[in-house]
Amino acid sequence: MISKEEIEHVAKLMRIEIDDHVVHIDRIQKMIAYFDILDKANVESEELIVREQTIDALREDKYIPYNGKLIENLKNYKGSYVRAPKLI
Amino acid sequence: MNLGISAIKYIEEIKNGNLTAEEFVSKTIERIQKVDSKLHAYLSINEQAVEQARSIDKKIKTKENVGACMGMPISIKDNICVKETKTTCASKMLEDFIAPYDATVVSKLKIEDTIIIGKTNLDEFAMGFTTEFSAYGPSKNPWNTEYVPGGSSGGSAAAVSALECIASLGSDTGGSIRNPASFCSAVGFKPTYGLISRYGLISYSNSIEQIGPITRTVEDTAFLLNIIAGMDPHDNTTIDNQNENYLDNIDSGVEGKKIGIIKEMTQEGVDKQVSAATNKAISNFEGLGATFEEISLDMVEYSVAAYYTITATEAGSNLARYDNLRYGYDFDSEGYEFNSYLSKARKKFGPEVTRRMILGGFVPSAGHAGKYFLKAMKVKSKLTAQVNEALKKVDMLIAPTVPILPFRFGEKIDDPVALFLVDINTVTANLTEKPAISIPFEISGGLPIGIQLLGKSMQDKMLLQAAYALQNTVKLPEVPI
Repeated sequence: MISKEEIEHVAKLMRIEIDDHVVHIDRIQKMIAYFDILDKANVESEELIVREQTIDALREDKYIPYNGKLIENLKNYKGSYVRAPKLI
Repeated sequence: MNLGISAIKYIEEIKNGNLTAEEFVSKTIERIQKVDSKLHAYLSINEQAVEQARSIDKKIKTKENVGACMGMPISIKDNICVKETKTTCASKMLEDFIAPYDATVVSKLKIEDTIIIGKTNLDEFAMGFTTEFSAYGPSKNPWNTEYVPGGSSGGSAAAVSALECIASLGSDTGGSIRNPASFCSAVGFKPTYGLISRYGLISYSNSIEQIGPITRTVEDTAFLLNIIAGMDPHDNTTIDNQNENYLDNIDSGVEGKKIGIIKEMTQEGVDKQVSAATNKAISNFEGLGATFEEISLDMVEYSVAAYYTITATEAGSNLARYDNLRYGYDFDSEGYEFNSYLSKARKKFGPEVTRRMILGGFVPSAGHAGKYFLKAMKVKSKLTAQVNEALKKVDMLIAPTVPILPFRFGEKIDDPVALFLVDINTVTANLTEKPAISIPFEISGGLPIGIQLLGKSMQDKMLLQAAYALQNTVKLPEVPI
């Protein structure tokens, strides 16, 4: 069983505060316990299929200007500047 | 006026002059106003719909070039961008998000003179199978409003089934189109991976999700596929379908076709009525000249665990952008101490998204990736090999779309593993990139049952032909709402 502390640690790395999410821990433990079924699949020797794409199949790497006034979607902006809160 | 006509019939009626787009769209809006307070299929409605229909009627009258959809009202799942329209993903995180551009599928529909009638409800960020995880409240099943409509495209399926639109576009990551289509008695189609552009679909699990139609008939699905499928420079995973016409020869039938019955999806854990319906579908197919053999895919047992591991991992990365700075911003502009920022960063996510984000951080992390993520990827590989092997012997595979009947609200929401197993029959198509379709087949005790067919990659057309043949063996009652 994965411990409560381990889940809290991962949550913090994911920028999720779990203090008032204690109800989730039990469910997450159940979900992870269910994933243990993967141990029985006996797939250790299996090759991974990787999607291949040659570089010439990618679109050209060039700047396409966007005409829309995207910045107007933001709540805090002035001209072409975005205001974000100061984090310390 | 019959709002229950198919897309094909709608076009015929418009062409014959028996119907105008304005009449039909106005009636559809009236219908939504009448039933949607009970069903909650929609999150927002296009206020200009009637006006837009009127201008399409003008084009029809003056014989201007008019697009193939001729003003038919189609709804769009609210995780697909429609320009200058709210696209919330049924999340508080995106409650104010106005999409700045159209998804490729939406531009293609608009070019063909479709009326985008509204945006439909879903489980938050498409994570769920009941719509109970929508931050704006669940949709109801039009066949019985005490039951879930399925999900995550539950609003789309409910809207099509309850005559609140002619068709809808949903997205399918592990059955999110086919499951609600089955629960609401509609046709739901997940195409071969790459057949339809995902540009403008808000990402959840890119490597397996696809956009697809939910419609009243298989022909309507083929019709919409003709419009929305194909290469897109904005989505590098799209594949060239050579401009296939999916509607041509849709009545080819299944004479001589071999169909595999997936053992792991038709025996253990399948509800008796669902099982009986599946057997009936098989015998209907036999009556049309198809032959059957049993196929065993032992990796199916592990498919749901693999599916959740992979999707949580991709979600953990895709949803990292929702950090209350770029989206969901509700800070004072003044400074924050980092930990107090952290406490607000993901607060606007609902419970299921929060849990899957944590899972998505955990299963691929150093020390755990070998046990979870890597094994999940290997199960995906082995399952793909098994399905490919099976499809060398048979033309397609059959199983019920969902092993159980629609269930009541609250019945499974507190048991995550029970909820996992609802999608045991649908995730295989996603993990193996195959096309799959749910065909409405029976109403049992007032609740719909759908039958699923899974086909070869890029043989979407053959799958639609078989689905059409099965559809024509049954006549289903009208929706009681």
